[in-house]
Amino acid sequence: MSDTSTTHTDERAGNATVRKGRSKLALDRLITFGAVIVLFAVFSITAKNFFTMRSILSLALQTSTTTLMGIGVTFTIITAGIDLSIGSVIAFTGTVAVMAAIAGVPIWISMLVGLLAGVVCGLVNGLLITRMKLPPFIATLGMMMVVRGVALTITNANARPAPESFGVLGNDAIFRIGPQFPGISYPVLIMIAVAFIFHFILKRMRIGRYTYAVGSNEEAARLSGIKVGRVKIVAYIFSGLLAGLVGIILASRMVTSQPNSATGYELNAIAAAVIGGTSLMGGVGTVGGTVIGSFIIGILTVGLTMQGANYFMQQIVIGLVVIFAVYFDQLRSRK
Amino acid sequence: MRKLLFILVALAFIAGAVSAQEIAVIVKTGNSSFWQNVQTGCFNAQKELKAQSPKLSVTFLGPQSESNITEEINIVESAIDRGVKAIVLAPSDVSALVPVVKKAKEAGIPVVIIDSLLTGDPSNYVSFLATDNDAAGRACAKELIARVKAATGSDAGKIAVMSYVAGVGSEIGRVGGFKDYIAKNSKLQVVTTQYSNADMPTALNQTTNVLAANPDLVGIFGANEPTAVGMGRAIAQAGLAGKIVAIGFDGNAPLQNFVKDGTLQAIAVQSSYNMGYLGVKTAYDAAIAKKKVPAKVDTGFIIVTKDNIDSTAAKNVLY
Repeated sequence: MSDTSTTHTDERAGNATVRKGRSKLALDRLITFGAVIVLFAVFSITAKNFFTMRSILSLALQTSTTTLMGIGVTFTIITAGIDLSIGSVIAFTGTVAVMAAIAGVPIWISMLVGLLAGVVCGLVNGLLITRMKLPPFIATLGMMMVVRGVALTITNANARPAPESFGVLGNDAIFRIGPQFPGISYPVLIMIAVAFIFHFILKRMRIGRYTYAVGSNEEAARLSGIKVGRVKIVAYIFSGLLAGLVGIILASRMVTSQPNSATGYELNAIAAAVIGGTSLMGGVGTVGGTVIGSFIIGILTVGLTMQGANYFMQQIVIGLVVIFAVYFDQLRSRK
Repeated sequence: MRKLLFILVALAFIAGAVSAQEIAVIVKTGNSSFWQNVQTGCFNAQKELKAQSPKLSVTFLGPQSESNITEEINIVESAIDRGVKAIVLAPSDVSALVPVVKKAKEAGIPVVIIDSLLTGDPSNYVSFLATDNDAAGRACAKELIARVKAATGSDAGKIAVMSYVAGVGSEIGRVGGFKDYIAKNSKLQVVTTQYSNADMPTALNQTTNVLAANPDLVGIFGANEPTAVGMGRAIAQAGLAGKIVAIGFDGNAPLQNFVKDGTLQAIAVQSSYNMGYLGVKTAYDAAIAKKKVPAKVDTGFIIVTKDNIDSTAAKNVLY
């Protein structure tokens, strides 16, 4: 930058940084999206039947749950927190919904009950962090264990079959036109709707801006009048709500309550957010990025399985992708 | 404050003296109906034995998931530290649990192994109770080959194996026996082996992908309870129920339904109840009654199909 008077330089530097920041963000997004396209192309060539309408729709269905979880956890990570209880909440909410359905409660109400259970878990997480001032890692770790224990206790660890109509949400689709085009599954539609809604919340609504503010600099946010505690609680409620949604979708796909499943899913959700550009330091992250990150993991998982690759290869590859995605992200932000 | 502390410590000592005879049952995870059935067996044995030893107590513990091997090791260590009379253990890894079992032996605590193999010196434990997983795997293979032949007229074709946790003793026996029998008695080719980590939705997704990648698959084997349920769901979802020969393992309610409606052709059901019941009784004999115990006990399995699912033999092992 040229050296004229100090104020001019500062102003121009300021503007240049903002422009640089915005175009860097766009470049980041383009690179990650480009990665998705490349991966998709590679697997279309090397894996049998990958590039068929059926497989692509199946890929979308399988990735929808990771995306939903990822979006929820993105909110908490942006506030410089984390949510480790997601897996347990998924198992718990699915179980609660199925048990309600078995008891004769109408399907849609049972699912709402499940969602409510997710919201309650999120609320508890939020309160533990804001009222009891526990670090998010500890609070959600504890909840992870408590919620899992509750889920197992109320079902005695048994997987119970749900009434067949419970399976409609997870297994049915619109636009079914014969076996070659099985239609766009409801979970995929839900994923698209949720992505748009939460993108809007994050980018256009005040609570979204406050979320970023709290994550970037909590003290400054507090001093400028933002109710930091409330913002954090909302983030954790979102995470619990979306985990609840995933729980219901999975229970519906399985048509069974499975209190023993979803162990470790929180790590997939966090990986999706991180690959998509969310920073664990807080203050950085987008819904779009998380969606892309989730699809990168999804394509790798499905593609490697269809290729007949060793299952352990999947874990190695996804782990390497997480490491290098974050590494490149850090390189770019250091410049 | 100090008086309270003194009272608490005194109570702890008293409690320690009173709970003199604990048999610790430690399984691969508390989180599945299979192991809960083992627990029922344990507690029934406890009820019967309490008549002879009123101070007997049976505790039942397991980590959060079957792949959480380190946690299982820790649970065994704390049982040793507690000074339990005997341990009944279902090891989640063939060799990782050997050092801690050795520790128990050196502390004078007899160990009874159930369900899964443990390598190393067999004198580390007093008895091994299990399904003969190798035999069960072979029986499943035999059933699959017979049904493929009946459906397609030949014993050649592609099959897939949906397994659970690589490296665990029961898996090595079951899937190993299955693959060996297939190789020696048919021209079927195993195109892929997938590991679900005993997670139902993972098994569902993996089976969906395997079925999509191999539309000419003639048979598929789900090697444990959550894997078989996920596999069954995927087959139903893909509209292939009855069109592919599917053999499952274990027998909870969803699996029984799959057999009844033809999604799965057969399931091999272990007597998990026996593992718990006989396991505790054997541990009691070794530790408290000080009797000699047999080195190996086969707790048995049954191949359950639509034809025999309502028989008494089947009903005894299903849960």
